[in-house]
Amino acid sequence: GLVPDSGAVFTFGKTKFAENIPSKFWFKSDTPICLSCGDEHSAIVTGNNKLYMFGSNNWGQLGLGSKAAVNKPTCIKALKPEKVKFAACGRTHTIISTEGGNVYATGGNNEGQLGLGDTDERDTFHLISFFTSQHKIKQLSAGSNTSAALTEDGQLFMWGDNSEGQIGLKDVTNVCVPHQVTIGKPISWISCGYYHSAFVTIVDGELYTFGESESGKLGLPSQLLTNHRIPQLVSSIPDKVIQVACGGGHTLVLTEESVYAFGLGQFGQLGLGTFIFETSEPKVLEYVKGEKIISISCGENHTAMITDTGGIYTFGDGRHGKLGLGLENFTNRFFPTPCSVFLKFMVQLVACGGCHMLVFATPQA
Amino acid sequence: DSDDIVTPVFQNSPKAVSEKMCIEIVSLAFYPEAEVMSDENIKQVYVEYRFYDVPLSETETPVSLRKPRPGEEIHFHFSKVIDLDPLEQQGRRQFLFTMLNGQDPEKGCLKFTVVSDPMDEEKNECEEVGYAYLELWQILESGRDILEQELDIVSPEDQATPIGRLKVSLQAAAALHAIYKEMTEDLFS
Ligand SMILES: [Mg+2]
Ligand SMILES: [Mg+2]
Repeated sequence: GLVPDSGAVFTFGKTKFAENIPSKFWFKSDTPICLSCGDEHSAIVTGNNKLYMFGSNNWGQLGLGSKAAVNKPTCIKALKPEKVKFAACGRTHTIISTEGGNVYATGGNNEGQLGLGDTDERDTFHLISFFTSQHKIKQLSAGSNTSAALTEDGQLFMWGDNSEGQIGLKDVTNVCVPHQVTIGKPISWISCGYYHSAFVTIVDGELYTFGESESGKLGLPSQLLTNHRIPQLVSSIPDKVIQVACGGGHTLVLTEESVYAFGLGQFGQLGLGTFIFETSEPKVLEYVKGEKIISISCGENHTAMITDTGGIYTFGDGRHGKLGLGLENFTNRFFPTPCSVFLKFMVQLVACGGCHMLVFATPQA
Repeated sequence: DSDDIVTPVFQNSPKAVSEKMCIEIVSLAFYPEAEVMSDENIKQVYVEYRFYDVPLSETETPVSLRKPRPGEEIHFHFSKVIDLDPLEQQGRRQFLFTMLNGQDPEKGCLKFTVVSDPMDEEKNECEEVGYAYLELWQILESGRDILEQELDIVSPEDQATPIGRLKVSLQAAAALHAIYKEMTEDLFS
């Protein structure tokens, strides 16, 4: 089928859609404004403020009132009275926010990642009473068993698993209600990885990392790793940081000048070539110098980057076709590799998950 | 509400599992005491195998990776689907049957070669540093695909002492069963 001018969502890897064969779909009179991938499930928010979910559902993470897997994007009717704005998929849970300032959560809750004051899992979206219309949500993020909400005025709230300090609290193992994380400066961007997290400050564009400290994923020198439970400045990045994306064991950073990578890269997910499989020192992706990257996304073991001309590069673990680089023959990619399927498209959004990737792209005029 | 969603109709139906096989070169490691570890001329390696008429360019890992450090594994995740269509690929099916039926144990195996890829192509040539053998018969016998099996890598000079291990996967049980059945039926008909 020919993709309409309004574009299509392209699916790669183990999405559960179209029997995991690379495929695509679109909405009859609607377009995606937000994509998110968890370990095995996906969420799409549309311009008409509807939420569509599909994929694995063992913990009720699709919010459909059952635990059966769903192989086709399905509208969450229970949220129809609300205008959904953002969605973030964690490993086994989902959080969403609405235009009215409500935040809802569903799915796995073993560490309190639903923010509902307990650790009981849910299979429908439940309102997190902590948030009120005063909290104008700007971004959501979800990690393995963690959740985060960032407000327009730069306040960051996190909840869930803190076993590695990944929600930035010193002494507790987990919290079941949102808790403000602050370093005394307003925050512009948050990313929850599987067991580590990172944020960016508004004014200076500084990067802070915290959580699991193994394999260099915090980008910090070893003498700072004893304090991994609290957010620490990654001072080795000289320019202003715009975005950060945390994966399973790796971290990508978009600055005004370049893209940096650090952490684990045994499958190529750092994009630093065939000789660097781990680094705690942030390194520039020389390969894409000269290209302007505008968006980055990390799955557990892979990475995607969108350019200002609507192109997309992927790298890392190639299994199951999640890099979007072929139909049945796959391989790990150690350098950023352009996805040729999108040569005649403008890529608008990308989300990487555990073993899959979603891309929203419109045909080139 | 799923009628809000438009999915283009699929053009080509996927091939039956008995009409293809998939070979994946997963990862490799060398033993710390192996000579290859201390050989400073060996800096990066790739892995290749040969399969009947499939061009070698399609059965070798597309990249060479830094030689693994002691205790380290390097990951290729290089998977290749080989078409075994009963009408178009009789040669490949016969090739597999010969391997399954072979008296010579080496011929009954898929042989993987670990190759050292010189950094400076002008000065040095690619050098074979090890072989790993996968017995196809075990798949036919068990009826099960091979998932991340570790094979001994032996050096070309001394095939008795393993120098490391190569991890491979092979989805071929359905195809091998079909081929064996079809060829032995031919023999007795
Ligand atoms: Mg995520
Ligand atoms: Mg993965």
